[in-house]
Amino acid sequence: MGNIMSASFAPECTPLKDTYDKCFNQWYSEKFLKGRSMENECAEQWQTYMECVETHLVKQGIKPALDDARKEAPFENEGKPLDK
Amino acid sequence: MVLWHRNTHIFDRDFQTVSLAFFNRYPNPYASHVISIDTISRKIDDLGKLHTTRLIKKTGKLPAWIKPFLGRITESWIIEMSVVDAQRGQLLTYTRNLDHTRVIKVEEYTHYHYIKRDDTTLVDSKVKFSSGFRMGIKHKIEEWSHRKFAENIKKSRLGMAFVMDKLETRTKLLL
Repeated sequence: MGNIMSASFAPECTPLKDTYDKCFNQWYSEKFLKGRSMENECAEQWQTYMECVETHLVKQGIKPALDDARKEAPFENEGKPLDK
Repeated sequence: MVLWHRNTHIFDRDFQTVSLAFFNRYPNPYASHVISIDTISRKIDDLGKLHTTRLIKKTGKLPAWIKPFLGRITESWIIEMSVVDAQRGQLLTYTRNLDHTRVIKVEEYTHYHYIKRDDTTLVDSKVKFSSGFRMGIKHKIEEWSHRKFAENIKKSRLGMAFVMDKLETRTKLLL
């Protein structure tokens, strides 16, 4: 179970996602957390993965709700809920 | 109507392990209902914080009383936003469902905070259930949301612990 690859919602994008995730994990733990890099170094892998995601996302009914939700800013109050 | 639930927990791990596990928490044996997870945006702001937005797809196990309202829904989508402040050892996360929000909206605010003195990471989760339902069905939602919160939070902590063990083994193998 633990070795199953983390999947993309679009099966076609899963291998690209896997390549990107590996690059990200490496950069995140070895560079970003150690303050050695303030620039995401996986741009190439990201580009290919995003092209695939965007192509397939258009076909999903969830797209409008997702676009709305992306405009929200839940961390403005230091990540604390405003009404709590 | 709005209901809040809260839970705190301490992971006996450093920030690097906990935050890396957060980004890699699926798949794990405690989250078999999660079908997919995709990063849809990622950027570093002027303060050096890492912002990520991800899209998660889950199979829904809905309570019987909600079926008349939603019918045979088998899937739901979740948006997850997060910010990592590496200098302060802090990770803020927010998730909420994208569909069926008129029936029920579940929002989770979780903070991970590294405690240097103990070399542990504190995790604090607040979950908000909002529903357009009126009083008649209120007690059912209360009961369900409470049970659901307890179940989910337990699975989520177990899933994170599982992934952290796995990451640790992998790191040891690499050394």
